[in-house]
Parts: sequence; structure tokens; C-alpha cells
Amino acid sequence: MDARHTFDFLTNPERFMAFSRWAAPLLGVLSAIAAAVGLVLTFLVPEDYQQGDTVRMMFIHIPAASLSLFIYLCLGVASFLALVFRQALADLAAQACAPIGAAYTALALITGSLWGKPMWGAWWVWDARLTSVLVLLLFYLGYMALRGALEDEQKAARAAAILALVGLINLPIVKFSVEWWNTLHQGSSTFMAAKGDGLPAIYAWPAVLMGLAYLGAFGALWLVRIRALVWRRKARSLSLKLAEGAR
Amino acid sequence: MSFDFDAGKYAPYLWPAFAISALAFAWMITSSLLMARRWRREAERLQAELESSKS
Repeated sequence: MDARHTFDFLTNPERFMAFSRWAAPLLGVLSAIAAAVGLVLTFLVPEDYQQGDTVRMMFIHIPAASLSLFIYLCLGVASFLALVFRQALADLAAQACAPIGAAYTALALITGSLWGKPMWGAWWVWDARLTSVLVLLLFYLGYMALRGALEDEQKAARAAAILALVGLINLPIVKFSVEWWNTLHQGSSTFMAAKGDGLPAIYAWPAVLMGLAYLGAFGALWLVRIRALVWRRKARSLSLKLAEGAR
Repeated sequence: MSFDFDAGKYAPYLWPAFAISALAFAWMITSSLLMARRWRREAERLQAELESSKS
């Protein structure tokens, strides 16, 4: 099987609908199991000697923050495929993931703020990490606003895809902001953590499980929303056929 | 090991964070499922209408 056929199910709406029909609930169930076990471990692990009970915030803040970047990457890749290769399903995929990405980014900012107040003494600081994540949220909101603002759907999709591609520049800025600038936000404690800054082993399992839960939830929700948009497109084309038949 | 739900002085920060996250997921799941159901039903209704108009 060559690469073209491997990804056929992602470009052909009928095959995608057949694939997502079982993949979406499966991902949803796996995500719910990971979340249930992850939450049990979240409240079983001991509190941190410095951060106390606020350390439990980590298990909902880090997955939301990491996924907000990953979802934007998905938005960028889907927008690129829609813009360059004119793949209709990729355009629907981009449209479907924007509201989920915006919700994850808002969650990262809100849980971060609720964590920051007791640890830093401030709800918000204009440091590079927090500001670049706020910019990420604005890119998501801008993408959704642009798609809704233009009446011509094709023009709206093209303009929003260009905006999504421009926003990709922000991803390395968010990721490396804590290294490039002097920030109040700490550096990475998971992947690419500096020596001595890594997560203690006891916190690794709840962190991994909650990360998988957030990832699975995104996958399931993304598929469900793409399915909804495929049906919406079908409904619109059927409406046109009915209108033409009535003439 | 036992459950530790007593967040002490950090409770006003910890519990709202978990509650807001739960509400956000409840909204995302509900709105996505309702959106899918709405458009599936609409497509099925229009398909049936088109088929009945042909016959």
C-alpha cells in the first residue's frame, strides 16, 4: 500500500465517515478511562514540599497548555492542505479544531492564572510565555471570527487559512519563550527539561494519564465536529438540489 | 496512600480550576454532539425529501 492510499480515508469524505464512526467513540472511551485513573492518582499523590496542594493544578494545566499548541499545529497543517491542495475535508478539519483549540488555550490561561496567584502572588504578568499564549488564543478567536465574518464561504476559508498559517510563527515563540527571555513562568519540567528541573517520578503517572486523556478528548471531539461539518455540507448541497428541482 | 482532598489555604484556587475544566469539557462534549446530531438529522430529512420528490 503506497502513502497515497494510506491516507485515502482522511481525504475521502465517505471513507472518513466510516472511519470516524468507530474511531470517535473509541477515543472518547479511552480518554474517559485515562481521565478517571488520572484524576484518582491526582488526589492520591502527596503534595509538593514547596507548592503544597497547588501541585495538583499541574495535571490539568500542562495538558491544556501542551494541547493548545498541538491543536494549533493541526489547524496549521489542515489549513495548508486546504489552501495548497484544495482538500475540502482538510478545510472542514481546520474549521472543526479551532473552537476546541480556543477552549484548551482558555483553560491553560485560566488554570495558569489560578496557579499563579498563590505561587507568584499575581493573577497575571505580562511575561513572554503568558503573553504569547494570549496571542495564541487571539489567533484562534481571529480564525473563527474571520470564518464567520465573510458571507462567501470559500473566501472566508481561504482568508482564515492564511491567518492560521501566519499564526504558526507563534508556536516556537510560545514553546521557547521561557528560554529566549527572562520569564516568571518556569521552564519545561516535562520534555526537554533542564537537569534538576524534571518532574519527580511520583508525579509522572498522573501527568501522563491526564495528558493522554486531554489528547484523546481532542481526537474524539475533533472527529465528531468534522462529521457534523460533513453533514452540514451535505445538507446544504441537498437544499440546493431541492431548490433547483422546485423551479 | 489515601485520597487528599483537603487543599487547605489553596482550596479557593484549586477547586475552581478543576470545576472550570470540568465545565469546559461538558460544554465541548455537549455542543459537539448536539451539532453533529442536528446536521445529521437535517441531512437525512433533506435526503428523504429529495427522494420523495423524485418518486
